[in-house]
Amino acid sequence: MKHLLIQVFFFFVLIMMTCVANARDVDDSGQLRQEIDFILHLIAREDFDAGIYLLDRIDNQDSFLKDSLNYLSGWVMYRQKKLEISAQKLLKVREESPVFHKSHFFGAYNLAHVGRHHDAQNTLAQIPVTPGGMHEAMQRFQISGVALLQNDFNEYHKQASHFNGNFHVMAQQERNMEMHRQRLETARTPSPALAGILSAAVPGLGRVYAGKSSEGIISFLYLAAMGFTTYDFYRGGGAGSPMFIISASVTGIFYAGNIYGSAVAARRVNQEFRYEMEQRILFDMHIPLRNAFN
Amino acid sequence: MICTFLCATPLIERIYAADDVFKKADALFASENYFEASIEYERVLFFSGSSEIRAMANLQKAQALKQLGAFGKARNDLQRSFHFRGDDSLRFEILYQYAFCSYMDNRSDEAFATLLQLKHAFGHFPLHRYFLLQAMVLADLQQWDDLRTHLELWITKYLDDGIFLQNKLVKYDEILSGYEKVFRMDAERARLRSTFVPGLGQIYAGEFGWGLLNGFSQLASLAAFGVMAYNGYYIASFFAGLGPWQSFYFGGIRHAGELAATNKNNRLEDLQTALSVFLLAVDAYLADN
Repeated sequence: MKHLLIQVFFFFVLIMMTCVANARDVDDSGQLRQEIDFILHLIAREDFDAGIYLLDRIDNQDSFLKDSLNYLSGWVMYRQKKLEISAQKLLKVREESPVFHKSHFFGAYNLAHVGRHHDAQNTLAQIPVTPGGMHEAMQRFQISGVALLQNDFNEYHKQASHFNGNFHVMAQQERNMEMHRQRLETARTPSPALAGILSAAVPGLGRVYAGKSSEGIISFLYLAAMGFTTYDFYRGGGAGSPMFIISASVTGIFYAGNIYGSAVAARRVNQEFRYEMEQRILFDMHIPLRNAFN
Repeated sequence: MICTFLCATPLIERIYAADDVFKKADALFASENYFEASIEYERVLFFSGSSEIRAMANLQKAQALKQLGAFGKARNDLQRSFHFRGDDSLRFEILYQYAFCSYMDNRSDEAFATLLQLKHAFGHFPLHRYFLLQAMVLADLQQWDDLRTHLELWITKYLDDGIFLQNKLVKYDEILSGYEKVFRMDAERARLRSTFVPGLGQIYAGEFGWGLLNGFSQLASLAAFGVMAYNGYYIASFFAGLGPWQSFYFGGIRHAGELAATNKNNRLEDLQTALSVFLLAVDAYLADN
């Protein structure tokens, strides 16, 4: 009887402990769920700093939960335009996660956006995709975009040969990407050296060649006026007159500056064209991602 | 099952029990951890089912954000409690804080509108803070006559002392009279003066040195033109004399306008600082008496 009572007592103690442990689990998971709900609320209110602060404080060893937290952190950073950190977080999401493809495509896009083209291309190439599926088409499309950003037309053609317009989320952008390729391949990029040489021959001509016609005309008029002034001093006082020396020196400085300025203008035109094309390519890479995953 | 029911449910419910709902947030606020406090107040707001607690949490969050200097954010957050229809003192506080944060966020128009709403809805409330904020807002909006009337009303309401009132009104007029020229200063007038007399626009804008420099530059370039032309350097006189002169002339006109606009803004800021000091002194005196 005594043994039976002891057994019954321990049985109840065991049940009590199990129940309390279960209750704590319920409590922990409930708290965690509430915490994530709250973080989502903060993010929805665009209170990103608070959201990130709380996300960083969640300490959980569960892999799936870690994926969700990395995805959330990456997404918040993406919304804050902190693309480098966003990519780091998004690319930590494991393949088992339901948001794996979204995270890795956006992670690669972020890398492309911050100029890490090679890393973006590697990341995209490593995303496992089903042949013939939307993810494969997306992978090819994104790699083609990164290839254009790198001026790698061979890689672009390799990927673009599979463009078929089957997926409406990127059909238009596939056509746009081809237009970007044509513009990049056919665009006339002024040579800074040639612009400098032209401006040495005729002041301002280098700028006109670079596509900055109004700047070129103004430069020409300024230097012509200075040249006439110098000539006037030379005519009146000779080569040794102080006014001629001062005027010729100033004109010479402006003449040399104009040559340098023409080379800089040509380089600036190239940079502006490159920047514009990069923005167009990135824009067209971004739209299918938003269409497909949001 | 019984044990689970007895143990688990209270554990979950205890998390957001109403009695200690602000405890953590208040402790963070008291220890000057305002960012963390603002998150905790937001948490209370998010999880509480009581509209009153939500309004209080929002208000407290605004206080934490004010400490962080995030007046715009506090203002935006307070908008969420506009629909609150509970306790009058809480509603008054929400509107007052909204007006205050709007003023601090350089939205004096909105602060003014909110203060009118406050006056209309809560005229019976102690409005001491209201009067000071209203005065600051009127100063910011440069409504000098309205501010004078408001000052008179404010002092009369709290103090039955005609001499004090008269002294303060005279002091107010004195402060304003020191800035009469500033009120009249106009960029267009400055440009017009420089168009006819080189450098005069800059002098009108209160920058005597700039005026002298511009006038001298124009004279020097014209003199160079004359000397060179007299000596037979006709082309040089045109490009090296008249060229710089037209630059100084048109540049001087533009510069005079810019100086007038900048100086007017700077001087008005000085006036508003002087008025703020004056109004705070009035407020302190009224609070003490």
